[in-house]
Amino acid sequence: MDELLADFVAETREMLEQSGTELVAWEADPSDKKRIDTIFRFVHTVKGNCGFFDFPRLEKLSHAAEDALAECRAGRREPDSSLVNAVLAIIDRISEMTDSIEAGEEFSEGNDDVLIAALSPNAEIEVQSDLEIVEEAVVDPTTKDDSDNSASKAPRQAVQRSIRLPVDLLDEVMKGVSDMVLARNDLARRLREAGEQPTIDGPFERLSAILADVRTSITRMRMQRLEHLFSSLPRLVRDLSNELSKQVMVDFEGGEVELDREMIEMVRDPLTHIIRNAIDHGIETPASRLKTGKREIGTLKFAARQSGNQISLVVTDDGGGINIEKVTAKAIANGLYSRSEIDKMSDKQKQNLIFEPGLSTAEQVSSVSGRGVGMDVVRSNIERVGGSIEVSSKLGEGTSFHLQLPLTLSIIAALTVGSGDQRYAIPRSYVEEIVFGNSSHVEFAQAGDRRLVTFRDKRVPCLSLGEVLGIENTAHCRWEEKTLVLVRLASDDIFALAVDRVFDHEDVVVKPIAPAIMETRLYAGTTLLDDGRPMMLIDLPSIAQMRGMVGGVRTKAVEAEKVERQKKSKAVPVMLFAGLDGRHRAVRLELVRRIDTISRDAIDIEGERAQAVIDGEIVTLAGHDTGPLPDGRCRLLRLSDGERELVYIVKEVLDAADITDDVVPSEADRSIEGVTLVGGKPIPLLDGHAVFSRYRATRKIEHILTCRIPGESEWARTILEPLVEAAGYRIATDEDDCEADLAIALAEDGTESLQGARATIRLRPDPEDAGDDTIYRYDRDGLLAALKRIRTGRAA
Amino acid sequence: MNELLLMCTIAGRRAAIPAIEVQSVIEVEAITPIPGTADFILGLTALRSQALTVIDCALALGLETPCASLDNRAAVVEVEGHLYALLVEEAHDVGEARSEPVAVPGGFGEGWQRAARGMVETDGGPTLLVEIANLICGPMREAA
Repeated sequence: MDELLADFVAETREMLEQSGTELVAWEADPSDKKRIDTIFRFVHTVKGNCGFFDFPRLEKLSHAAEDALAECRAGRREPDSSLVNAVLAIIDRISEMTDSIEAGEEFSEGNDDVLIAALSPNAEIEVQSDLEIVEEAVVDPTTKDDSDNSASKAPRQAVQRSIRLPVDLLDEVMKGVSDMVLARNDLARRLREAGEQPTIDGPFERLSAILADVRTSITRMRMQRLEHLFSSLPRLVRDLSNELSKQVMVDFEGGEVELDREMIEMVRDPLTHIIRNAIDHGIETPASRLKTGKREIGTLKFAARQSGNQISLVVTDDGGGINIEKVTAKAIANGLYSRSEIDKMSDKQKQNLIFEPGLSTAEQVSSVSGRGVGMDVVRSNIERVGGSIEVSSKLGEGTSFHLQLPLTLSIIAALTVGSGDQRYAIPRSYVEEIVFGNSSHVEFAQAGDRRLVTFRDKRVPCLSLGEVLGIENTAHCRWEEKTLVLVRLASDDIFALAVDRVFDHEDVVVKPIAPAIMETRLYAGTTLLDDGRPMMLIDLPSIAQMRGMVGGVRTKAVEAEKVERQKKSKAVPVMLFAGLDGRHRAVRLELVRRIDTISRDAIDIEGERAQAVIDGEIVTLAGHDTGPLPDGRCRLLRLSDGERELVYIVKEVLDAADITDDVVPSEADRSIEGVTLVGGKPIPLLDGHAVFSRYRATRKIEHILTCRIPGESEWARTILEPLVEAAGYRIATDEDDCEADLAIALAEDGTESLQGARATIRLRPDPEDAGDDTIYRYDRDGLLAALKRIRTGRAA
Repeated sequence: MNELLLMCTIAGRRAAIPAIEVQSVIEVEAITPIPGTADFILGLTALRSQALTVIDCALALGLETPCASLDNRAAVVEVEGHLYALLVEEAHDVGEARSEPVAVPGGFGEGWQRAARGMVETDGGPTLLVEIANLICGPMREAA
């Protein structure tokens, strides 16, 4: 049944009970004016409520009774027994109808006109006022089994009856139950410590279960879902927008959040006022909305969240926003502030001027808002119940009202997290998702000093809980080892809170904390862990506010480029190796040309210069500064960037692997591209760029040595040329007018030195050594050795 | 009417807390620190499933050295519905005040002056009577 209707039924029944004694007294003495007053009030109230709920029959009845009683009160009519009977009959009928309403049944048929006619002064119709008889007469004729009175009554009795209780009493009971829960937790801990005791454990389990049930019921006793408040708003919005010829759509979120019944009533009026303001001042007319490229229909969004002993309710419209200029001008014009005072204010302060008494910004004062009672009343009403209200607005984009409302009692669902060596509770209603920092779809980035995390293609600002609480330094924060709790605030702002560990979901009883702790604005309350240790409840909205995580109106996390991600998520082959210091590192496989093994003697290190000789080539050496050189054989990774080469000395080549996880960049160590996960272990990935820029790599491939060979000899072209090219030379053609690095001449062509070459190799046709520095043309080893000697001589 | 006082030592000085405000004297065991709070708030401790805010009396007075407590004795008091454990160096017996609290010309010294209701004569000699409500605010509130 509708909550409001239930309230109506409860109220009516309560008044019926109260007026019961009055009715009897009146019957005894129809002229007793005091009794008439009480009964008059009753029918009057019923009449008013009926109009609201659209019960025409009830309204007609109560209206008639009210009229008759009004006559009596005014002295125009003397109450007599027939009037008393008629009124009593009507009240009985009202009672019957109330029962029907509660049971959700149709009203029983019955001639109301007879009852009403009986009220008239000259009525001759006898009306039975005896309740029992009326009840019998009212036995639902629609029920087929008329004779079975009890059967038709049965469903009516099954209907829940409600009573009204003072809220204080409920508070007291609630507090008692909360303390019982804590005492139970304490007892549970002691029982655990004492070891297993079957005779005690069983009953204790039962006690715990019962207590849990009681706690749930007690909580429900005082709580009401915010839905009940929300459900009346669409109508209000509709009426207001019609009146102001605007089109407004409402959107609710967090209707399941429960709020103290009393609190709901306290908020109703301020909320109504905020809605009026939003529709009147905030949301523009459809025409002007279209002009500014907005949807014709404005949106009014209500989002509620529970956090500790606070409910945060955000009312956001997508209207024109607060015109600061206008507000300040008005404040000055109304003499609230001087120009210089205004100039000193921040934009936020200026926006909050709307809460000042005597300020209305609408150009035309409409019937809806802007009657002088304005946001100042709203604010004072909210502050009266211990809440707070703030506004944030962007001109042209909309306005958000952030209401913080206290919750007198609180058992909240919380997430317990660890930071440092302590546990903290975070209200679960804020937690959107939990992700691990080292997970493959989480990527960290940095903008200025702000750490960002890219998750689901959104860039989300990142806070470390340890840093917020001042127990940890961000500089030493290893983000990828953290667990990220994605927090969505009531204002839809998202940020990631990095914690060391997430423990559990727990229902916690939140107790208020001392003012001196409240001052930190970090905590919303405290609660006790099962082991009896206190645990602080983190005040997320306040932290978000302090850290500027509340971006104001509808600031959505920035979309990151998807293309970039896809490229990065491709598996990258790497080679794993152990450096000279024994630490495992990885290098992109693309960089590695081959693995060489040389003797210790082939390495020459002098100051900044380190070189190795491989296959008669001198190559720049890197990686030697991480640890002592091994004795004997040295393993080298020959790295190439496509143009240059260097060798990176390692202790051991381990394996080849694919990295699929993201590479998390490191600020501290510039020699690595970042840290990635290989087989679950963090492995630093060597930064190829840094290595090549730091160690001036051997310029080898870029400068290809040229060689002239005798062009006219067929042997030279068909046999010598491929050999020379394979050795790394380019065959100089006749177009090369510059000096070649090497010339190969055939001894039979004569002894004159070939022009245009820095070095010359002479080949002789006969195997016998002629003793003239020539090489036998089929002495392959000799020839290659000569070629290499010249090449390395140049390269060095 | 002689007020009953809990005699204790704070920062080496004789001090007294009105016994009527003291619910009990406990030995504080584990303290859960609360990061981000003023240093005189040592943290929270649990007493019979209730959380107490532990206050270091010496630091709360604005003195520089924290309580050098031997057995972590603390007086449990309730202020505005919140429970506090006032950590003192030593907690002695409950004694009677032999006089009304009086001010002393020149004051009791910075810090003490703010949190003291006055000097009372006791059997053990003159003692400073602590004003709990001021003490739990700490030295910070004073500056603000």
